[in-house]
Amino acid sequence: MSKDSKKGGISRRKFLQGVGSGIIGSYVLTPGIAKAAEALKKNSEKLILSVPLTLKVNGKQAHLLVEPRTTLAEVLREKLGLTGTKVACNNGECGGCTVLLDKKAVYSCHILALDAEGKEVTTIEGIMKGENLHPIQQAFIDHDGLQCGFCTPGQVMAAEALLLKNPKPTRQDVLEGMSGNVCRCAAYPNIIESVLAAAEKAGSETAELK
Amino acid sequence: MKNFNYIQPKSLKEASDILKKKPHEAMLYAGGTDALGLMKQDIIKPEEVVNLKSVPGLNYISYTNGKGLRIGALTELAEIAENPVISEKYPILRHAALAVASPQLRNLGTIAGNLCQRPRCWYYREEFNCLRKGGDMCYAFDGQNKYHCVIGGGPCFIVHPSDLAVVLLALDAKLTVFGDRKTRTVQLKDFFVSPGDDYQHENNLKAGEIITEIQIPELPQDAKSAFVKFRERGVWDFAVVSVGAVIRKEGSKVISGKLAFGGVAPIPWMDESLNAKLPGVALSEEPVAQLVSEILKKAEPLSKNAYKVPLVRNLTKRLLLEL
Amino acid sequence: MARKIVKSRYYGDEGLIETMAEVPVDKLKAWGPDAELKVVGKPVSRLDGYEKVTGKAAFTFDVSLPRMTYAKILRSMVPHAKIRSIDTSEAEDLPGVLKILTHKNCPVIPWHWGTTVLFDTEVRYQGDEVACVVAESMQIAEDALSLIKVDYEILPFVSDPSEAMKAEAPKVHAWGNIIDGKPSLYSRGDVEKGFQDSDVIFEDTYSTQVVVHNPTEAHCSVVSWDGDKLTVWDSTQALFGVRDAIAKSLSMPASKVRVIKKFMGGGFGGKLEAGKYSVIAALISKEIGRPVRIALDRKEMNLSVGNRPDSVQKLKAGAKKDGTLLALSHYSFGNVGAYPNDADCSWPLRTLYKCPNVRTEEYSVLTNLGRARAYRAPGHVQGTFAFESMMDDLAEKLGLDPLELRRKNYTEIDPVSNRPYTSKLILDAYQKGSEAIGWKEKRKPAGSEKGRFRRGIGMASQIWWGGGGPPAYATIKLNEDASLHVMAGTQDLGTGTYTFLAQIASEVLELPIEKIQVTIGDTETCPYCSLSGGSMTAPSVSPAVRDASEQMKRKLISAAGAILETSESNVKYSAGKMSRLDDPAKIISISEVIEKLDEKMIVTTGAREANPEGYEINTFGAQFAEVEVDTDTGKVRVIKVVAAHDIGRVLNQKTLFNQLHGGIIQGIGYALMEERVVDTYTGKVLTTNIHDYKIPTIMETPQIEVIIVSSGDLLISNTGVKGVGEPAIIPTAAAIANAVYNATGVRIKSLPITADKVLMALSEKN
Ligand SMILES: Cc1cc2nc3c(=O)[nH]c(=O)nc-3n(C[C@@H](O)[C@@H](O)[C@H](O)COP(=O)(O)OP(=O)(O)OC[C@H]3O[C@@H](n4cnc5c(N)ncnc54)[C@H](O)[C@@H]3O)c2cc1C
Ligand code: SF4
Ligand code: FES
Ligand code: FES
Repeated sequence: MSKDSKKGGISRRKFLQGVGSGIIGSYVLTPGIAKAAEALKKNSEKLILSVPLTLKVNGKQAHLLVEPRTTLAEVLREKLGLTGTKVACNNGECGGCTVLLDKKAVYSCHILALDAEGKEVTTIEGIMKGENLHPIQQAFIDHDGLQCGFCTPGQVMAAEALLLKNPKPTRQDVLEGMSGNVCRCAAYPNIIESVLAAAEKAGSETAELK
Repeated sequence: MKNFNYIQPKSLKEASDILKKKPHEAMLYAGGTDALGLMKQDIIKPEEVVNLKSVPGLNYISYTNGKGLRIGALTELAEIAENPVISEKYPILRHAALAVASPQLRNLGTIAGNLCQRPRCWYYREEFNCLRKGGDMCYAFDGQNKYHCVIGGGPCFIVHPSDLAVVLLALDAKLTVFGDRKTRTVQLKDFFVSPGDDYQHENNLKAGEIITEIQIPELPQDAKSAFVKFRERGVWDFAVVSVGAVIRKEGSKVISGKLAFGGVAPIPWMDESLNAKLPGVALSEEPVAQLVSEILKKAEPLSKNAYKVPLVRNLTKRLLLEL
Repeated sequence: MARKIVKSRYYGDEGLIETMAEVPVDKLKAWGPDAELKVVGKPVSRLDGYEKVTGKAAFTFDVSLPRMTYAKILRSMVPHAKIRSIDTSEAEDLPGVLKILTHKNCPVIPWHWGTTVLFDTEVRYQGDEVACVVAESMQIAEDALSLIKVDYEILPFVSDPSEAMKAEAPKVHAWGNIIDGKPSLYSRGDVEKGFQDSDVIFEDTYSTQVVVHNPTEAHCSVVSWDGDKLTVWDSTQALFGVRDAIAKSLSMPASKVRVIKKFMGGGFGGKLEAGKYSVIAALISKEIGRPVRIALDRKEMNLSVGNRPDSVQKLKAGAKKDGTLLALSHYSFGNVGAYPNDADCSWPLRTLYKCPNVRTEEYSVLTNLGRARAYRAPGHVQGTFAFESMMDDLAEKLGLDPLELRRKNYTEIDPVSNRPYTSKLILDAYQKGSEAIGWKEKRKPAGSEKGRFRRGIGMASQIWWGGGGPPAYATIKLNEDASLHVMAGTQDLGTGTYTFLAQIASEVLELPIEKIQVTIGDTETCPYCSLSGGSMTAPSVSPAVRDASEQMKRKLISAAGAILETSESNVKYSAGKMSRLDDPAKIISISEVIEKLDEKMIVTTGAREANPEGYEINTFGAQFAEVEVDTDTGKVRVIKVVAAHDIGRVLNQKTLFNQLHGGIIQGIGYALMEERVVDTYTGKVLTTNIHDYKIPTIMETPQIEVIIVSSGDLLISNTGVKGVGEPAIIPTAAAIANAVYNATGVRIKSLPITADKVLMALSEKN
């Protein structure tokens, strides 16, 4: 059985023959766009209003007015000036925008700001005490767990989420826990060392306390 | 992303009514990990986004001895992966949940959303007006189809992206669906639709219908299960292919069992005639090799995905031998 | 200090750079191998670590100015078309839209060497600029884009370079699809005779894919006018290049343009050129009288800002029975996309080994796809994969150990110029690297492994330039509180520039690193340094800082001599204190000297010295990879990479190792997973996000062992540094491919080595 004869299979080649070789006929863009324009107009008639939102970020309440489509990352960066949260892919594919939501790591670019209402948002700015570094941050400096630094706040937040859940991670735990954060500079070996060192340090400090 | 009204229904009925009234303009929204991606790419442009999370009582895992497991539709994948009962009784479910996306996405993505997520075909996700989006051709058929289906395709050739669907299928799961002011129960194996029947939908939910619960029957004491997902990168990637197996055996012989496959067909794939051959098979090299050569016998690979056939066979063989 | 003007000649990111440069007349003596350095070479933590781990580092992406507006570019959705008309009226009506620029209202500004203009009426790839909207918010700008109506007259297109080379192919530009209309050629000796004299001939074709830089921070500019003066914050690897290009485009003096880049989220070569987006933003900003931020999104990053061109390489080698190479020939073509660039990749074949007869013929081919740009060791990465794969194939055919074949053809002098190298320690790299991986003990004959998981070991050599050269300057300012400020117009891409500049000043002046502040990335306040690409930054800039620091020391000694009423030769400098040799109790500190001088600060400017005449400067190295191939799936896992390199002096062990890790892992991405996939029927890219475009994750991290076999190149500069950014990535893919062959007996000749290819090749073999 040839592929063309497959149940309903519409061959591309056949299709192209119909419209002249090598040139695609389906690119008359105007109608599609006109439709979109119409929709948008209709939309503005329907009036989608910005809605009030109360966010708790780094322990502080913020009262805002946002369009429903606004992502948490947009609110953090553009409305609250918390630019420590970086956006690299804006699509849940890299981890640059990682923040904590009720102590769990999420991609702030891939969640609506409205969905963070009633929850505790923690950003990189929120894990420091004044200008004092969090032990994970110090470990990233000591073990050079970064190069360009753009992914670093997200890495630190992912590490924080991991260590909150699992204070004594194995190397494999670290790999899995940090696996939602891409580093294009590929500082991975040092990121792994940084997280392990932070855990170890925290462990030895609690041991001392005991 | 187009703007929308964010609706926060307080009950299933309220949510369902809005969805039913505006089948084209309104969209159900759970964790949003898939929905948001589609909206950002303007693949869907809902005017009303209906937040299921505002409906209380849909996030739970409950196990009753002898009866089995019930999981609320809004249960996040991370919850499933971390639940001790699931780890003990249904480790295969835990494996599948852990194999999804990345830790951050598992903290938001829900089980029902996972089953209802839209295809990952790159033509679908890019600016191609293909069949599934209402256009008049499938671009993948003779285009870049390395990740597309090898069986059950036509006129659209997607693979179903859900990892959980594969194990839930092998576990014989059922769904409770709310709609039209009542609930119905549907076997997972009857839930998904082939493109031959409808190339614009992946499942048979009707407008206004909402999955509320996933039920998994009690597994026999002697049941063994395993799941393997093959992906190109160690994280994030969808399954190139995956295999879920739930088998009862006596000694080294299979009494009965189910094999389900992901990444091979537009729906999570189960071949009843293959499963019928399982009883009596000895779990050793020769007979298993014989059995797996029956897998995807009717496959019709596209130009760039013939590798999926040996891949699935090899993985299944290994899975069975290591059970 | 006395200076002179010389002709400077060195290799940069994409080949030879020849320029005039001001250099010191007297060269400082290089730190020798036994120099006891206290700070240089040590694992000093990054100076900018605090900013980066706290999220306080202001990347261009984070720059926010009062009254700032947001720009977004409308890009062509089709690979080739003429714009019949553009209707922006509806978009203009959208509240919050401030300005829309299209070809209709934009001045004609030539781009890509005049092959196009800022907004062309013909679009030549999916992603070509069509219009730009500036609005009060990003969301409004995006909404407005969807309201612009473009009517295209669709033109025939071509996306496959082998098609594009044919006479009847659609033309990307009227003048043809081959850059310069001809191949770039090189030859030495008599290749035909070389082949005739050979005992063994091997030939095969290898190919590589297009890969995309995808740095985490997207290309981004924030522009702001102040009367006739323009300030541009840009995410760039080339401050001065961007400044000059923008000034030229806007017909204004370069002195009126200030380019600032404090922190940048990765570049890898993709940010070496000025982008249209910066100029577009500047034009609009001037008109609306408000600052504009223009940040590209991930899709634009994958379509429009460059990539590593692909390659098809036909190679042929002739050798004597004992492995002596007699002839090499290379024929290749590569896809440079819609605007000029080059895809040449034969340098490794020309220079890695001694071979008297060599011929290369290379075509850079235009297609209707995003344009290629420099990407971390342009050409060398593609070329090394093919050539070093072939060397293994040849070794197999000759029945020789692949490492022996390479040793056999070692060359003392550069085979192209016949000049000696300033240093070349590749034999040490072979030795130490092979020991570390267990070449002798662990490596088995190819394909002899049995079972599901098969392990193999492979290696490849590396050559790159990376010596840098003048001009490069650094100004240092010593303050009354004995703190020091280093200023240089260079860039830190995450490569540790901030840190090593401070280390050098700290070393010379014996001041604690905490007392040193570094300002780079500003064309207005910093003296000139060249772009940061081609592993040039450290070798070019570090000697200038040492020069400035040594001058500072001399000034301090001289001043102290005057104050302590003695001759300079009687003054000893130690850790910021000057004392009389004959009377150590007579001692004066930096603060006291500066106070006495009543100048508040002392300033010196140092310069990079000239490169030595008559030498070639190259980096060398070898990487050894151990892989495990799952024969059930075809998946390749890299277990370990040993990277043994000759890169001159190590400035900072921490950042250096990190650079090498990064290059190797990017090399793994190149070898195993990264690929821009194009639908050839429509000419459109399918991998426009970083999910479908596969970047290595933490899960792909192998064990990496770094061995530096060099201790400082005494001939090139006073710091003896060669670069490492490019060497790190060059041999990785070939070493992996060779290891896969060693593990399975199957040779994958086209990158990336994905599971499906391996699995199918294995089943064909059986
Ligand atoms: C980068 C990335 C990688 C991913 N990798 C994987 C992977 O490897 N494997 C995998 O399986 N998935 C993967 N996913 C898909 C991921 O989105 C789902 O796994 C997730 O579980 C979806 O759940 P959600 O709650 O976020 O769904 P949503 O996005 O909220 O919804 C998805 C769809 O389901 C519908 N829906 C949601 N809930 C219900 C309900 N109760 N009843 C009826 N319809 C409903 C919605 O209307 C929508 O159409 C990935 C996603 C991303 C972004
Ligand atoms: S496989 Fe389906 S979704 Fe993909 S291009 Fe074809 S029709 Fe569209
Ligand atoms: S920016 Fe949010 S995941 Fe990439
Ligand atoms: S440090 Fe550059 S992306 Fe991670």
